[in-house]
Amino acid sequence: MLEKLGFGKIRIVAAKELRDNLRDRRSTILSMIYPLIGPVVLGALVLFVGATLSAPKVAEHVVVVQGAQQAPDFVAFVREQGADVVETDIEDVARAVRQGIHPAVLIFPENYAQAYAAEENVEIQLIIDSSRLSSIMSIGRTVELVNRFNREIAKTRLAVHGLGPDVASPMTLKSVNVAASLSISGIFLNMMAPFLIFNVFIGGVYLAIDTTAGERERGSLEPLLINPLPRWQLMLGKYIASLAFTALAVLAAVVAYKVIFTALGLLGVGLKVNPSVGDFVLIFLVTVPIQMLAVAVQMIVATVTKSFKETQTYLGLLPLLPSVPGMIMVFVPLQPTTLSMLVPTYGQTILIGQIVRGEGAPLSDLLLSGGATLAITIGLLFLAARFYNREQVAFAH
Amino acid sequence: MIEVSNLRKTFKDVTAVENVSFIARDGEVTGLIGPNGAGKTTTLRILYTIMKPDSGVALIDGHDAALEPQEVQRRIGVLPDNRGLYPRLTAREHVRYFGRLHGLPPDELEAAIDELIATLSMEDVADRRAKGFSKGQTLKVALARALVHKPHNVMLDEPTNGLDVDSSRAVRDMVRRIRDEGRCVLFSSHIMSEVEALCDRIVVMGHGRVVAEGTPDQLAEMTGQADLEEIFVAIAREEAELRKKATFEALKEQLDA
Repeated sequence: MLEKLGFGKIRIVAAKELRDNLRDRRSTILSMIYPLIGPVVLGALVLFVGATLSAPKVAEHVVVVQGAQQAPDFVAFVREQGADVVETDIEDVARAVRQGIHPAVLIFPENYAQAYAAEENVEIQLIIDSSRLSSIMSIGRTVELVNRFNREIAKTRLAVHGLGPDVASPMTLKSVNVAASLSISGIFLNMMAPFLIFNVFIGGVYLAIDTTAGERERGSLEPLLINPLPRWQLMLGKYIASLAFTALAVLAAVVAYKVIFTALGLLGVGLKVNPSVGDFVLIFLVTVPIQMLAVAVQMIVATVTKSFKETQTYLGLLPLLPSVPGMIMVFVPLQPTTLSMLVPTYGQTILIGQIVRGEGAPLSDLLLSGGATLAITIGLLFLAARFYNREQVAFAH
Repeated sequence: MIEVSNLRKTFKDVTAVENVSFIARDGEVTGLIGPNGAGKTTTLRILYTIMKPDSGVALIDGHDAALEPQEVQRRIGVLPDNRGLYPRLTAREHVRYFGRLHGLPPDELEAAIDELIATLSMEDVADRRAKGFSKGQTLKVALARALVHKPHNVMLDEPTNGLDVDSSRAVRDMVRRIRDEGRCVLFSSHIMSEVEALCDRIVVMGHGRVVAEGTPDQLAEMTGQADLEEIFVAIAREEAELRKKATFEALKEQLDA
């Protein structure tokens, strides 16, 4: 039955293309290395940037000051809190901060001791460089220590005048963080979906180009087309081979993500969530319809373009397109709607994000997104078959 | 048997083939000769189903190449203009790939491959990957994969173009063998000596048309020339004269109007 429908010959074509491409060692190895870039970059981001952005413990904090001898009470207070105070030996503090030698420097002016003794308000300066992301946490710590010192002294002074400590502080602010991760590294979780979708569009692209535009350019397409099988079967055989390679590349990426996440968990870095093996299986399944769509688009482009080089140019740009919604969502999370599920790659970006953050993806959305993408893919395959039937397909221009 | 009647094919504003008719019979070698750009390749491409004619009919064993491409593809073995190989497949794998696409059962296929390797004396390259094959080696592989299903009709587009003496001889021997088995061979060439040595019938093309047709003897009689090279030159000259005249008359008409 399957043989009668042409599956026998489709299988022959697919098997030949797979074997042919597997013998191209360099391309095969490269196509398995590309998928690892995403997970490695993500892991490195979480490890390094995440670590710098996570709050240092009070005990490890060092307040760098200029003119510490003016403020012995402050120095004593900070040490009491478990942090340390260090006098800077650099004259030009502005440059020291700009160059990152100190994250921030607190300057006590000449008249500080005098004003402090007279219970007068005195301005002290905190020198910071707001363009240095890595200093944020340290600056915050220092500001907090200064505020605490302020409250302490105010309390003592008010007590002298017979007033309670709450008189000068009507409100207490306490923020509650509900993010899925312990630190800012949670933002990197959202990068996984666009990275994966990029892999989907890059995984089998070489094969799609090589088996159509490449075959035409080598002059082997004309003899191949004279064999007694309908052209759509030939196209489908090549499609299946490219799809197999895409699936393999995405699988490699998904496995690498799981390994990296587990490793980060063992290192005790940042992430509260560690998606299970089941989650990753689901993520892979979510990408399958986009894999089918991606390869169909690649087949069409490789068929209608005039040369191997032209095809490479177009298909080099293609992966950027579907990554756009995902990249935007890294910084501006959007609410999923039914409509967004119908858009290929956009719906999947949302779903992968939900799964990886441990929120779970609704079954209805999974089916809707997969179904819509598949329907579009089938349409594209019909189009690809039509293009394959064109006379020009056999000849390099 | 290949029957061609009134083929016409245009690309944009260029007429590649116009009113081409001829017959290539079983048990005969038919040569399609003419200078470059005469329409030989386009005619063959229509016959081997890669191009559709604007009008006219090409029948292979009675099947219309435009309407029943698969029926025709089963009955033809083709060495097309493009004869590229897959650099990472061995010679044997090339032939096996095409044999499988023709649906040959495995035993029969392997036997056919061994036989072709022997008759084309390509034992030395049979299990080597095609990357770096010489022109002659490439041609033998392309020929073997075209003939693996023992097609009744064989079409060869400039088969000996650029080949060394040994490979050319291998091709000629192959062509004779196929003819002697009662099969039909149609091949194109612009090399006179080759056509002279091989062909039972000759179709001369020029500027997309058939300008003369017949056995080598008939053609000699027609033009009064004994040497085929001379015949060809004479026909080409005649054709050019006619064309010049036609252009001149068209111009004159335009001027008069």
